[in-house]
Amino acid sequence: MPRYVRARTLDEALDRLAAGRWRVIAGGTDVFPALADGQPGREDMLDITGLAALRGIRFDESARAWRLGALATWTDVRTAADLPPWFRALKLAAREVGGVQIQNAGTVAGNLCNASPAADGVPPLLALDARVEIAGPGGVRVEPLAAFITGVRRTTLAPDEMVTAILVPDPGRPGASDFLKLGTRHSLVISIAMVAVVLWRDEAGAIAAAGVSVGSCAPVAVRLGALEARLVGQPPGTDLAALVHESDGDALSPIDDVRASAAYRREAALTLVRRSLARCGEAAA
Amino acid sequence: MSIPISMTVNGQPVSGSVEPRTLLVEFLREQLHLTGTHVGCDTSQCGACVVIADGVSVKSCTALAVQCDGSQVTTIEGLANGATLHPMQQAFNDHHGLQCGFCTPGMVMSAVDLVTHAPNPTDEDIRKGLDGNLCRCTGYQNIVRAVKAGAEGMRTGMGG
Repeated sequence: MPRYVRARTLDEALDRLAAGRWRVIAGGTDVFPALADGQPGREDMLDITGLAALRGIRFDESARAWRLGALATWTDVRTAADLPPWFRALKLAAREVGGVQIQNAGTVAGNLCNASPAADGVPPLLALDARVEIAGPGGVRVEPLAAFITGVRRTTLAPDEMVTAILVPDPGRPGASDFLKLGTRHSLVISIAMVAVVLWRDEAGAIAAAGVSVGSCAPVAVRLGALEARLVGQPPGTDLAALVHESDGDALSPIDDVRASAAYRREAALTLVRRSLARCGEAAA
Repeated sequence: MSIPISMTVNGQPVSGSVEPRTLLVEFLREQLHLTGTHVGCDTSQCGACVVIADGVSVKSCTALAVQCDGSQVTTIEGLANGATLHPMQQAFNDHHGLQCGFCTPGMVMSAVDLVTHAPNPTDEDIRKGLDGNLCRCTGYQNIVRAVKAGAEGMRTGMGG
């Protein structure tokens, strides 16, 4: 029979991870549904929900970044009053993860660790240049999210490591962001395609930096680097949607499955990118 | 590995012994015999199993019983005051917010949680707030009416 331990401190959790194989759980929204299928749970479970230090969202002055503790839930993100307006993409994603009860239980960090190609948290955090803080026996390391997720349900997390926070850098300039998700229904569905756009403006209102990412259309969500480069320098009032080229879809490698065909996914993703750019352009112009 | 747990369910202290993989809904139904909490899908989609734990709605098929050790849990059985229905239950009755009734316990619990956090919800708030609950009978129209009336009842402390 599998074991269950509720860690009291981060050190205790790390000691456990160093001494054996554990499945780290918090909200468990990706883990527990598998328990009900009649298969006995085989993994030992290390519950980290008792680690109060990993709760909450706050600004870290020294890192110039917003720190989402590993236990921050989607509801925490959705209801956080003090986040800057450019967090909108992540807030919109938070409103569309599962349903209300999943948002109450599920954590953003868990969404990253689960590393589903359709993870709602990945495109916004990728476009925001988020980093992942990881604790292990050798101390703490910080890795860009783009490097952390390496494939379908694969990350760089070693068996003796755990994520302690997500760091979202605050570049200290005005920004706007947006998130759009296409599914057969609003809630409780796996996305066909989703898009996050982040635009940073300089003093003159021109685009100083851009992040455009697409999820559910490749093993790992991808950034459209060529489009981002085309956006930089655009003055306010530009028709940003018109800057999207059909060839921007070449960065995607969507699959045919029960939810949609690859061709539809590619078409839909570019349409969502155009819409999101238009919405962002209006918000920040 | 059997783990002793204690929690407060519907105001009553309860305890039991569960395997780590035991889901909260299994503990409620099989050990406490509180069968008002339904299991519709087992995959955390349908919402028939919604209960309120420590002030927020959760799907009890997507929570381990051991993780609720020490928690305050309210199930559908905990809403009525003797023979007097909770305003939300009364409103579902008055507005026929159900047909077969299977989803109703979860609908009512999600609705109570919604109104607790947003006492005067719009139709849109209600539809968004119930997005984790599926009903295959009603088409939702009467459910939205019921929740609106139930919210009014909860605000005024009267039946819907």
